[in-house]
Amino acid sequence: MVNIGGKSGNLWVIVLSLVFAGVLAIVPIPVWLELWRPDWIALALIYWVIALPHRVGLVTAWLVGVLEDVLEGTLLGLHAAVLTITAYIGLTLYQRLRMFTPLQQSLTILMLIGTGQLVIFWVKAATGQNTADNLSFVISSVTSAVMWPMVFVSLRFCRRSFHVS
Amino acid sequence: MSLVLMFADSRFDYLGRVRFYIAIVVTPLHLMADLPSRTADAFHAFFRTREELVADNQRLQDEMLMLQFRLQKLDHLEAENQRLNELLKASSVFDDAAVRAQLLDESPDPFSKRVVINRGSNDGVFIGQPVVDAHGLVGQVVQVEPLTSWVLLITDPLHNTPVQVNRNGVRAIAAGTSDSLHQLTLENVSSTADIQVGDELVTSGLDQRLPAGYPVGVVTSVRNDPGQPFASIRVTPTAQLDRSRNVLLLFSSSESKGKSASQKAGVSAGTAVDEPAHHNVEGGQ
Repeated sequence: MVNIGGKSGNLWVIVLSLVFAGVLAIVPIPVWLELWRPDWIALALIYWVIALPHRVGLVTAWLVGVLEDVLEGTLLGLHAAVLTITAYIGLTLYQRLRMFTPLQQSLTILMLIGTGQLVIFWVKAATGQNTADNLSFVISSVTSAVMWPMVFVSLRFCRRSFHVS
Repeated sequence: MSLVLMFADSRFDYLGRVRFYIAIVVTPLHLMADLPSRTADAFHAFFRTREELVADNQRLQDEMLMLQFRLQKLDHLEAENQRLNELLKASSVFDDAAVRAQLLDESPDPFSKRVVINRGSNDGVFIGQPVVDAHGLVGQVVQVEPLTSWVLLITDPLHNTPVQVNRNGVRAIAAGTSDSLHQLTLENVSSTADIQVGDELVTSGLDQRLPAGYPVGVVTSVRNDPGQPFASIRVTPTAQLDRSRNVLLLFSSSESKGKSASQKAGVSAGTAVDEPAHHNVEGGQ
């Protein structure tokens, strides 16, 4: 979907923001904070899906997901599937999401990322990997929702100042 | 499509190559994520005072003296051990060739204890390779990428380490736990086994993968619940899993009947680890 060299410029901003999100997703932090780490990649991807649905769609989401899988050493295709689902819901909701107040947006993000975390949890449990034995994996989607307004504002600033379209 | 991919990755081995090449793209991200701590290290090294350096130097020289003193005895003991083993017609195992590696990153998944190190297939790393630090066994390599590789720590619940009590040779299996970074449990040990608090555990080498004799942990608690068939024994790893940034990748210099024999041949041809191996052989004769 991202056709570099096409007529619309500055798509490198999208790529760069996703790369930055990837770095944030693996930066070493204390173990007790690990559960609270927001899903930066999903947040950035959701922003671009809402802002530029004609540029960033399912294919981008899938590619980003495969890269995330290799980056984090998870099952190949796991994050690809999850991000594709997230991007799909985002694509169906983007017109409403743009109209929402920040609080409503955050709650929607909570549902979106929570769904993703749930799918990750299912797949991990099904393939015999170690996961939480309670609902603690939801914490990360809560912090993601809390972080959403900040991500939204900063990425919108980037988009406007670099005229990404 | 993702479902097919996931299924293929979990059940078969085809995707190792794919992952290997995609890894080339994402490796820079690991390096970038490592940047903050690396700059902090650099700053720290730059702003040290002379007194600190002198004190450090003094301490290191003292330490080296002590270690050399112990090494003298060790050489002697090693030769003696070799002779005795030959008398017993047993094969002796000394694998000392090692390559230094640095921790780059840890797994962002809070439930899996894996770390990324800055050595990959270009340095001859292979799957199943044991990783130790200055104090004991750290884990083994589970995934190799061109410039980096993933190491599964011994405290991961998916990792089982065959161990032996140093004091009396009782064998057991130390498994990782899901709750804490610093706990191992000994599984299926009968409550009458002679294992006490404070016992040192070393690898037994029975898995043909991890070399024998590397320290794994110290028993911290033994609880015999009459209602349970087995004793519940907790072990704290001796390796500094959360602190050490420098680890050693072991290249086995002795021959072992493992499935990785061919990989090992490639390793010794491809890297500069031969020198310590020769030294080792000389020390044995």
